[in-house]
Amino acid sequence: MRKLMPTIAVMALSVPALLGLSGIAQAQDKFKLGMAVGGNTCCEWMKAQGDVARALAEKAGWDYVELSNNNDPAIALKNAQIFVQEGVDAVIQFNGQPSANAAISAVLGAAKIPVVTYDIADPGMYFVGIDNLAAGIAGGEQLGLIMKEKWDCNPDLVISSEGAGAGIVNEWRTGGMRTGVKNICPGIPDEKYISFEGSGDAAVALPAARDLLAANPNAVKMAVVGINDGGMLGLINAAEQLGRADEVIGWGQDGAFITGDNVNPHLAGSVFYFLEGYAVYAIRDVIGPIAEGKDVPLKADPGDPASKVQPCPVSAEQAKAVPDMPERVVALLAAPAGTTEYDLFCPNK
Amino acid sequence: MTLDRAIDAMPAATPLRLRLEGWGTPITLLVVWLLLIAATGLYRPDFFAHQTVLAIAFTMSITGVLAIGQGIIGISGGFIDLSQPACLILSGLVAVRLSEAGLPLAVVFAGAIIVGMAWGALNAAIVVAAKLNPVIVTLATNFIGLAALYLVFQLEQVPNDSEIYHMGRARFLGLPVIWWPMLVLIVIVGYLVHYTRFGRRMTAVGGNRFAAKARGISLKTTRFATFMAAGGFVGFAAVLFASAAGPFNPSSAITLQLSVIAAVILAGISLAGGRGSFWMLLLSVGFLSTIPTSLVFFGLSSDNQSIFQGTLLMIAVAIDGYRARRGSP
Repeated sequence: MRKLMPTIAVMALSVPALLGLSGIAQAQDKFKLGMAVGGNTCCEWMKAQGDVARALAEKAGWDYVELSNNNDPAIALKNAQIFVQEGVDAVIQFNGQPSANAAISAVLGAAKIPVVTYDIADPGMYFVGIDNLAAGIAGGEQLGLIMKEKWDCNPDLVISSEGAGAGIVNEWRTGGMRTGVKNICPGIPDEKYISFEGSGDAAVALPAARDLLAANPNAVKMAVVGINDGGMLGLINAAEQLGRADEVIGWGQDGAFITGDNVNPHLAGSVFYFLEGYAVYAIRDVIGPIAEGKDVPLKADPGDPASKVQPCPVSAEQAKAVPDMPERVVALLAAPAGTTEYDLFCPNK
Repeated sequence: MTLDRAIDAMPAATPLRLRLEGWGTPITLLVVWLLLIAATGLYRPDFFAHQTVLAIAFTMSITGVLAIGQGIIGISGGFIDLSQPACLILSGLVAVRLSEAGLPLAVVFAGAIIVGMAWGALNAAIVVAAKLNPVIVTLATNFIGLAALYLVFQLEQVPNDSEIYHMGRARFLGLPVIWWPMLVLIVIVGYLVHYTRFGRRMTAVGGNRFAAKARGISLKTTRFATFMAAGGFVGFAAVLFASAAGPFNPSSAITLQLSVIAAVILAGISLAGGRGSFWMLLLSVGFLSTIPTSLVFFGLSSDNQSIFQGTLLMIAVAIDGYRARRGSP
C-alpha cells in the first residue's frame, strides 16, 4: 500500500498537468491575429478598426491581440516585437507613421509573420486599402461638376487644405482632387490653385485658413478640397467667421463629418472609405486564406493590392441616407461574412 | 520772483532714460508691431482691410485669455502652467456637453470655468502637498490629462444650431464677439493685479516668497488661489475655443501653448515672478497674432510662424533675463 500511494499521487497530479498541456496544445493550434491600431486621436475610425477586427476574429474563432501604435513610429516597432513574443500568426496594422514600416517589416518577416498594412504601402506587407489617388480624383470630379453648374468652371480660387504629415497619402488625395477638378474644368489657370497646411485637423487649420482668406479678400467663388473632412472644415469655419461662408463650397475625403445631424451646410460632399470596416477586406482576402493554410501571394503595391477598398463619393444629400459610424459597424458585423460597407451603404455603386 | 528763484523752484529735470523707465518694453513692442503692420501694408495695401482685422482679432481672442491665466501663474512665481492644453480641452468638452444639453450660454460658461478652476486646484494641491516644482507638476498633469481625454473622446464639436456656435461667428462693433471678453478681462485683471490687495500679495509672493511670508502672507493660500484663478481663465477660454474651433480632438490645443507663453514673456511678465503688467498682453498678443497673417500676405505659409515665434521667444527670454539681472521692471 505504501508503494501504491506515491503512484496514485503521481497519477492524480498528472491529470491536471496533462489537461493543461492539452489546453496549451489546443491554444497553440488556434490561429492568433495581432492588430496594431493607429492610435492617432484625430479620428474615431482608428479605434473602430480594432473593434471590427476583434469582432471578426472572434467570429472566426481566433485569438486576438490588440496594441496601439499611438501614432508613434518607435511604439509601432515595439509593438511588432511584442507580436513576435506573443507568437501571433498574422498581423494587421494601420501605421500613420510609415518611417517605421521597413523595420517593422524586417522584425515580422524574420519571424515569418505575414503583415497586412492599411493604406500605407511597404514592400514586405500585404497592401489593403483605398486607392487614394482614385479617391481624390473621384471627389475632385464631383466638386468639378458642382463648380461647372454653379460657376461655369470659373472659380476665383481652388484651395487645398493639406496634411503634409501624411506624406504621399496627402499628395494622392489633395493632388487627386485637383486632378479631378481639372478633368471637369480644364481651363482653370494654375495660379488659382492655392494651398495651406491644415494638418487634417479643423481646429489646427482654422487660424491658417483665416489668414489665407484675409489675404484673398476679393475671392468670392472658392472651392475647397482637403486631405480629409476635418482639414477642409477648418477653411469653411474660417469663412463663416469672416462672413464669407456663402462664397465657399467644400468637398472632403473620408466622410468623417458628412453624416449625422451636425453637418455643416457648406460641405457639399465627401468620399467615404468606410475606414472602420477595412478588416473585412483584410480577413476575407488575406488573413482568412492564410489561417486556412493557403498560400497567399504577397501583393504590396497599391496599384495591384492584396485587397482594394472601393472609394464612395457622396453628396451631402446622398450622405443623409448613410448611417453614422457606430450604426454602420453594427450592420457590418451582422452581415454575411465578406460583406463590405461599400456593399451595404454606398449610394453610388 | 526773480529768474534765479524761479529756476530754483522748478523741479529737477528728469533724465530721459529715467522718464522712459518702465515704458521701454511697451514702446518697443508697439513700435515693432506698427512696423510689421506698415511693412505688410506697403507690400500689400489690401492688408488694411476689415478681413485682416477680423482674422487677427479671432486669433487674439483665445490666446489672450489663456495668456491671462499663464501670466497669473508667472507673476505669482509659479513659472509656467504647462497643463493649459489639457485643461482647455477638458473644459471645452464640458462646454460641448452642456451646449448639447441645450443649456443657456451662462451655464455653459459657468460649467467650463468651474472645471477649469477644479483643474487648477488639482495642480495646486499637488504642488503644495508634494512640494514639487509647478513646471514638473503641470507637465505631468498635462500628459495625464490628455491621455485620459484620449480615452473619453476622439472628436467633439458644438451643435451647429447652438448659442455657443453662433457666438463663435458673431460680431459686435465690427469685431468678433469672442474678442471683447478678452479685452475686458485683460483690462480688469491688469487693474486687479496692480490696485487690489490680493493682486499685490500675488505679485509679492512671486517677487520674494520669504519676504511675503514674513509679512504674513499665506503662500499656500496664494498658490491655491492663483492656480484656481488661472484655471478659471482657461475654462473661460475653453468656451471661446469650443465656439470657434469647430470639431476638435484632445491634441487640438497643443499648438496654442507656444503662442501663449511667448505672449506672456513678450509682455514683460516675469516668469520668475514679481513683476509685469497684464495690460501689456494686449500688445504682445496682438503682435504675435499679426505675425502669421502678415506672413501669408508676404506670400509665405503661415506654418512658418513657429520659426518667427521661436526666435521671438528666445529674444524675449534673453531680455527677461537681462532685466532680472539689472533689477529693472
